[in-house]
Amino acid sequence: MLDNLIMGFGAALTPVNLLWCFVGVLAGTVIGLLPGLGSTTGVAVLLPLTLSFEPLTALIMLAGIYYGAQYGGTITSVLISTPGEAASVVTAIDGYQMARRGRAGAALSIAAIGSFVAAIVSLVLLMAMAPPFARLALGFGPPENLAVMVLGLTTIVSFSSAGARLRGLAMAVLGILLATVGVDAATGLPRYTFGDVDLLSGLPFVQVMIGLFAVGEVLFQIRQGAAEPIRARFKDLMITRAELSRSKGAIARGSVIGYLLGCLPGAGSTLASFLAYGVEKRVSRHKDEFGHGAIEGVAAPESANNAAANANFVPTLALGIPGGATTAVLLGAFMMYGIQPGPLLFDEQPELVWGLLASFFIGNVLLLVLNLPLAPMFAQLLRIPYGYMYPLILVTSFVGAYSIDNNMFSVWVVFVFGLVGYFMKKFDLPMAPLVLGLVVGALFEKALVQTSAMGGGDLTIILTRPVALAVFLLAALLLAGPSLLRLVSRNVRHEEKEGV
Amino acid sequence: MRALLAAVLLLGAVACGADAGTADGAWKPRGDVRMIVPFAAGGGSDLAGRALAAALEKAQPGLTVTVENRDGGSGAVGYSGLLGKKGNGNYLIATENAILSLPLSGQVSFTREDFTPVAKLAEDGGILVVKQDSPYKSCTDVVNAAKSARVTVGMSGAYGVDNVIFTMIEQKTGVTFQRVPFESGGELVPAVLGGQIQVALLNPGEVVGQLRSGDLRGLCVTTDERYTYPEFSSLATAKEQGIDVSYVQFRGILAAGGLDERERAYWEAAAKGVARTAEFQKWLKDNYLRQAELYGDDFRTYLGQVDTALAPVLKKPS
Repeated sequence: MLDNLIMGFGAALTPVNLLWCFVGVLAGTVIGLLPGLGSTTGVAVLLPLTLSFEPLTALIMLAGIYYGAQYGGTITSVLISTPGEAASVVTAIDGYQMARRGRAGAALSIAAIGSFVAAIVSLVLLMAMAPPFARLALGFGPPENLAVMVLGLTTIVSFSSAGARLRGLAMAVLGILLATVGVDAATGLPRYTFGDVDLLSGLPFVQVMIGLFAVGEVLFQIRQGAAEPIRARFKDLMITRAELSRSKGAIARGSVIGYLLGCLPGAGSTLASFLAYGVEKRVSRHKDEFGHGAIEGVAAPESANNAAANANFVPTLALGIPGGATTAVLLGAFMMYGIQPGPLLFDEQPELVWGLLASFFIGNVLLLVLNLPLAPMFAQLLRIPYGYMYPLILVTSFVGAYSIDNNMFSVWVVFVFGLVGYFMKKFDLPMAPLVLGLVVGALFEKALVQTSAMGGGDLTIILTRPVALAVFLLAALLLAGPSLLRLVSRNVRHEEKEGV
Repeated sequence: MRALLAAVLLLGAVACGADAGTADGAWKPRGDVRMIVPFAAGGGSDLAGRALAAALEKAQPGLTVTVENRDGGSGAVGYSGLLGKKGNGNYLIATENAILSLPLSGQVSFTREDFTPVAKLAEDGGILVVKQDSPYKSCTDVVNAAKSARVTVGMSGAYGVDNVIFTMIEQKTGVTFQRVPFESGGELVPAVLGGQIQVALLNPGEVVGQLRSGDLRGLCVTTDERYTYPEFSSLATAKEQGIDVSYVQFRGILAAGGLDERERAYWEAAAKGVARTAEFQKWLKDNYLRQAELYGDDFRTYLGQVDTALAPVLKKPS
């Protein structure tokens, strides 16, 4: 492996490759910044420009766009509560609250540091055991996915504050209901589309979230009257030692969750970031701060989405199966350069594979160097009075929504969900459970339908799948665990009293 | 810089609404031409749309063709978008069998008659594949197994080519397959590799890597004749194995409906130039497609024939 690594760095460290790696991660950061314009579109649009390059150079640049976008997506999430990438939605919850308290610089810094650590951890794992991991992940079918989705749904509790469980639950159910709009996977029949063609593919998730978070927030702030711009001293923009040490565990857990989910073909970094946030809130000693600007609430999902982005390359490189939408476009790129992706890639194109992997190291170092000093700079943007920011955010949101698929329908979705977001804020209804319900609801239903089809309509097929059973058990424990613990400890105390 | 370019390209999509020019004599599109791809980036239709757009630009110097992914509803969103461009010669769509299967589903408001057939340029076949440790060695084995036991097959969507072919096999042989629904062909490869489903039908380009490594085994092809590509020439056709089924996916170009004679003539001539470009030939080779050209009215006739054959297959049992 060491030989391979040396060969990889040798291939990646040529001046040309270094230059395009830099261009790629920079382009990725900007693409991640722009709401609506995600890494998938970014790679697809820039792909033709690289056709005259050497294959390795082209892939280094395109991959740089992909993981660079994971860094960029955070910036708008934190500053203006407008996630640039779907995987950065969760970051908006605590990141934006941190920004409101003048800690935007710290939030952006920890996101960059978390992303970097996660990238290195997942890269080492990727290099050490991509092929065996990819084989294991194949055993992960619909029943196992179903179990993971149930696990995801149990984290809903984490997304609502202690006094508002019921509201959180209600919003999650609303999200799941909204997820049923569109063509039903099993029969191909449309549901709740009212004859509208655009609704056939369901409510578009990114547009819903731009509406809820960005437009809703602007409307709410306008009603509140002129908010004070955040005047933070430059010193306050830096991350503190205490914040760093609080984030350690979150980054580690986020990296592992992200890597594991990223290895599974199809499961993406969005789900990984949600799960990491949910887990973090469960285990954190600062539970009450979540939702009000807990730094772990930024560190965990940001680490998770970057780890997942890297782990997406596990099935892509080891088996020739796309790990997600962006890696699917990259697989197309492989073919355009005359390289046949598939299980033989590691053996037939070692220099390409290892060069690409080595470039991930270089690219992530570049991103860290780029993002750390930029974090306080970006945070300074918040000094701009909100009066000037509102129109800017609105324009970016609507143009961004339109640019996703060049369709006015997207703009209307943003508009309607902007209003919904405003009223949710007004009546103090949590938004994250709704978004989680919308994301997981659709995946949950798909896994349920597939599992049922695999068993010929019989769900007991789950009983024959040990991994699925284990995950279901974990979900049950997470759900019932805290109550059980309380019950047990009360009994113990009770007995102690009687004994005295 | 590159990122800026990407942003400009995408924002350009907002600003551009160029109308077709009407100079004297021959018609030529004025301003950018839009090639709609009714499926998401990365899939077979996307590759086709991008290759055909590049080949059009090469064949018609000075022409700019911008690709636009408008996915959703198994292609319905993209075609509906083109429906609204009636009479506008600046809009094309990268078409395939969804233009026939969607109207047959009864869920959309357009039919093939609403668009102008420009050209059919290539055909993409299907290969029935199983995991390497599967007991099935041929498509006949699969059909025989389905007579007495449950055989799970993947389905990439209710209107996908695989669903059509499995239904055709069912109607010819009287067996029933247990369909497990997925959202795209890309999801089927890991499902069949992981043993979640027993059989999948995939395009050669989607599985050539796994076939070469031996992780998957091809059983038969659903084309009329065997492939000439050496990677697949040893695979028998379904017909050779006694299953009288053949169906291919066509790839081509439609223009918006309601075009006049000169606009139609321009696009037909442009499409004829496409087949001669290196871009087009590379796309064929990279994706193991078969060159199969039909232009204008010939393409229209072909669409009618396939439509007639497809109707009894996709008709829902009442």
